[in-house]
Amino acid sequence: MNAEVIIVGGGIIGCAAAYHLAKNGVSVLLLESSENIGDGGSTRNGGGVRQSGRDPRELPLIMYAIQNIWPKLSDMLDTNVEYCQHGNLRLGSTPQHKAILEGLTSRAAACGLDVRMISGDEARQLNPYLSEEVSCASWCPTDGHANPLMATMGYYKMARRLGAHIISGEKVVELRKIKGAVRQAVTVSGNVYEGDTIILAAGYESRFIASTVGIDIPMQPVLLETLVTEAVAPMFWQMLGTADADFYGHQTEHGSFVFGLNSGLEPYAKPGKPLSTSIAASAACRGIMRYFPSLSKIKVVRSWAGWMDSCADHVPVISKVEEVPGLILACGFTGHGFGIAPAVGLVLSQLAMGQETAVDLSALRYDRFQ
Amino acid sequence: MKRYDMIVIGAGPAGLSAAIEAAKRGMQVVVYDENAKPGGQLFKQIHKFFGSKEHKAKIRGFHIGEELLAEASALGVQVVLNAIVIGLFPEKEITVKIDSHVEHIKGDTILIATGASENMVTFPGWTLPGVIGAGAAQTMMNLHGTLPGKRVLMLGSGNVGLVVSFQLMQAGCEVVALADAAPRVGGYGVHAAKIARCGVPFYLSHTIVSAEGEDCVTGVTIGEVDASWQIIPGTEKHFDVDTICLAVGLSPMSKLCDMAGCAMEDNPGKAGFVPVVNAYGETSIPGIYAAGDVSGIEEASSAMIEGRIAGIAAAARLGFISQEECKAQAAQQEEALSGLRQGMFAPGMRGKKITETEEGVAISENLLRHGFVAEDEIERFPGVTHNIGVHPVIECTQNIPCNPCQDACPKHCIRIGSNITALPSVNPEQRCTGCGMCVASCSGQAIFLVNEDCGDGTAEITLPYEFLPLPEKGNKGIALGRDGKTVCSAEVVQVRSAKAFDCTHLLTMKVPKEFAGKARFFRKEEQA
Amino acid sequence: MNDRNRKLKPFVPQPDDDLIVCRCEEITKGEIRRAVHDGMFTLTEIRRYLRTGMGLCQGQTCTKLVKGIVARELGVRPDILEPSTGRAPMRPIAMEVLAKDREEKAT
Repeated sequence: MNAEVIIVGGGIIGCAAAYHLAKNGVSVLLLESSENIGDGGSTRNGGGVRQSGRDPRELPLIMYAIQNIWPKLSDMLDTNVEYCQHGNLRLGSTPQHKAILEGLTSRAAACGLDVRMISGDEARQLNPYLSEEVSCASWCPTDGHANPLMATMGYYKMARRLGAHIISGEKVVELRKIKGAVRQAVTVSGNVYEGDTIILAAGYESRFIASTVGIDIPMQPVLLETLVTEAVAPMFWQMLGTADADFYGHQTEHGSFVFGLNSGLEPYAKPGKPLSTSIAASAACRGIMRYFPSLSKIKVVRSWAGWMDSCADHVPVISKVEEVPGLILACGFTGHGFGIAPAVGLVLSQLAMGQETAVDLSALRYDRFQ
Repeated sequence: MKRYDMIVIGAGPAGLSAAIEAAKRGMQVVVYDENAKPGGQLFKQIHKFFGSKEHKAKIRGFHIGEELLAEASALGVQVVLNAIVIGLFPEKEITVKIDSHVEHIKGDTILIATGASENMVTFPGWTLPGVIGAGAAQTMMNLHGTLPGKRVLMLGSGNVGLVVSFQLMQAGCEVVALADAAPRVGGYGVHAAKIARCGVPFYLSHTIVSAEGEDCVTGVTIGEVDASWQIIPGTEKHFDVDTICLAVGLSPMSKLCDMAGCAMEDNPGKAGFVPVVNAYGETSIPGIYAAGDVSGIEEASSAMIEGRIAGIAAAARLGFISQEECKAQAAQQEEALSGLRQGMFAPGMRGKKITETEEGVAISENLLRHGFVAEDEIERFPGVTHNIGVHPVIECTQNIPCNPCQDACPKHCIRIGSNITALPSVNPEQRCTGCGMCVASCSGQAIFLVNEDCGDGTAEITLPYEFLPLPEKGNKGIALGRDGKTVCSAEVVQVRSAKAFDCTHLLTMKVPKEFAGKARFFRKEEQA
Repeated sequence: MNDRNRKLKPFVPQPDDDLIVCRCEEITKGEIRRAVHDGMFTLTEIRRYLRTGMGLCQGQTCTKLVKGIVARELGVRPDILEPSTGRAPMRPIAMEVLAKDREEKAT
């Protein structure tokens, strides 16, 4: 089976790229290894659409996405992605926290982002549910959150509707070069798909697939956990984080709260199916209740775990590979790929079509580790 | 972290049985159950169980629960109630919610015996209050002493639908109809017969068109379905009811197995998504076992044996018994289990059409279509004989694994033989004394004592009776036929109650002798 | 291998499309059928897209019903559709209770 562009990986990055390519009339074939679209971090993350707290190398992507894509994404995808731009509060309660937050804030402000330090009382004015524990916070009014499930499935739905060919349960294990350029994706069942360009957006698996054409991206799998509560009446709309990064989350349009957890043992999880640990949800509840005592009666209904592809320098590789013509890498998103995904999908399509990218990607090149 | 030799999740028949076997062999066992009362579904089961004497036949379910609990507690098994196991994690660690906190506990072995949940079907109005699961109705009646409603329509003719219909009537509800989309009664014929003779109409090949009502159920419409399960226009029937009970099957509650990472399969033969287990109930994760409904929907009797086997296997795994002992002890249990899986209702028979019994007798089609054996069918079954004087008439017409009647008769009038599913036959050579032990011992309430000719133009029929208020000698009323329709007038001449009868009362009624073969139930005359 | 572009029978509105199937999240039969035609071919995708089975009962009531509807829409046997993963907590649990998993509990 042939297509102009083959995308390996049916997460939000792959689906967003497929959407833009299909929209531009490029024939595209997307191969997803698991049974379900969006099975990796795409549907397991906490839904942050944040600029604050980001590495400056990623800022152009997220700022582009927030200014140009997120506000119209629901219409674009004919799917309510529940994008909500009501700011991000990163909370602290100690002088050490304040120092961490001030560092993050000054670095981001230097890149032109509207983010500032506020006092505990100012934070409580923005969010009256905050406890007296909170003594400082960083505040970025243009940050927000969206529903990762809807955004991922929305990109998939529209890509499919626009004619992208999508196959799940088709695990690519090898890329092959034909006469000097990468052209073929070979699956575990032995099927061979051929295209002019191959976009590799398969999370941590990308590492093994890229290595079949002699490219290594230094990354490791890290297990992250998330929980969701029952739905309650609307309380607040900000995206939340903490200086300690012990939890982050928000209340969804549906009324439930989604919180990402941190147990400190993330890099040490056993390989295989991502399994929740027995301690992370409890630890997160303690942290959440310290800052939000009024959430203590709310019931947790579900928790889950997922792998993230943690890159050696904590920012992704989004790059053409000149030494392997035809190959485009999009991996190593290190747990913050969701917010930038709309911009990444766009620039990947531009790379594949040989156009100038909307955002300068030079800081995210594959050969920066050499 | 606190650690046990065995953690059992679910204090139902499978879980308690496993705990008993494990503790017997020296293991330290803890059992967690999310309910306030142990026993799983057993404490809701007020009817007598089928099976063999060795496996608790003719004992009422809740008594079995009491026995299991007593045995477990005597063996030092810790049963913790109101304890919700919320997660099963790697390294055989569980988290349990107890009171207002969570505990982390490890087990060297874990048995998952979480049972099943009730299936639902959708129809307009299915979310109205008053549409409930039959199991939920049973919980309300038999655990909480609350009537689910006054007038009930039951959907589902499997054993749950049949047994709960009978219990609803015992509790004082009126069961206006029993409907099932299938063309044949799914449960035991004897369970069907005992509600049909009380006058409950059966509507096979019928399903619910809609439930009516604004804030709660006030009525229901059923209709006949064609071969592709579509309602045939013009066949609708309406009933004024306040409750619709759904008895449309159970699904294994296997999420904990899935969460633990056990290999799972969707197995229609086991009624759903179940862990893959070996002959000992061990899942793909060594040391994690599953038994009872969670590993495939069956009867409580099989759940108990599966639990016992898992308990034995866990003991061998941890070296409390040898592998040889395990094999021998498990083999005994397996034999009993295969005994229970015989007959017309065996798991392997699902969906197969049966035309005759093991004995070669044509089955009663009427029983399958209308819930009772027709008059022109009943005579062909070996338990139905004629004799001078009082004698048993056994209206047991299907091969089910059950034999208490054979041992109940002190005169050995009743014979089943070594094949537990054989139909009981009556030995006319042995003299029946009319003691009634057989009538009370039949879990299917299918045995009657009949004296066809008392010499004065009347006949006397003794029948099992489990309703309150109990009629008294001299009460006049009507005799109902197997079809629940009025046969003739009748008078109660004797009501016997005895400890050995275990709350099955023996009511003897006198009817004109030409109705000896027809009259099978008594209804007291309504106050004029 | 699951080809997401394979042809399904056309979507035909049915009289009972407004029937609620997932009671917790109030998802109708019609929404589920529509989602299949939008490409949600697995129960997990349906759940991600519509929230079926994600409410307080965690799918105990509707899982089998949803499965039947999706299977009919796809024209496959229900048992080939893999159910969504079981996840802790098995029953809803208040944050303040879940938070207390340490030894310092009251005796």
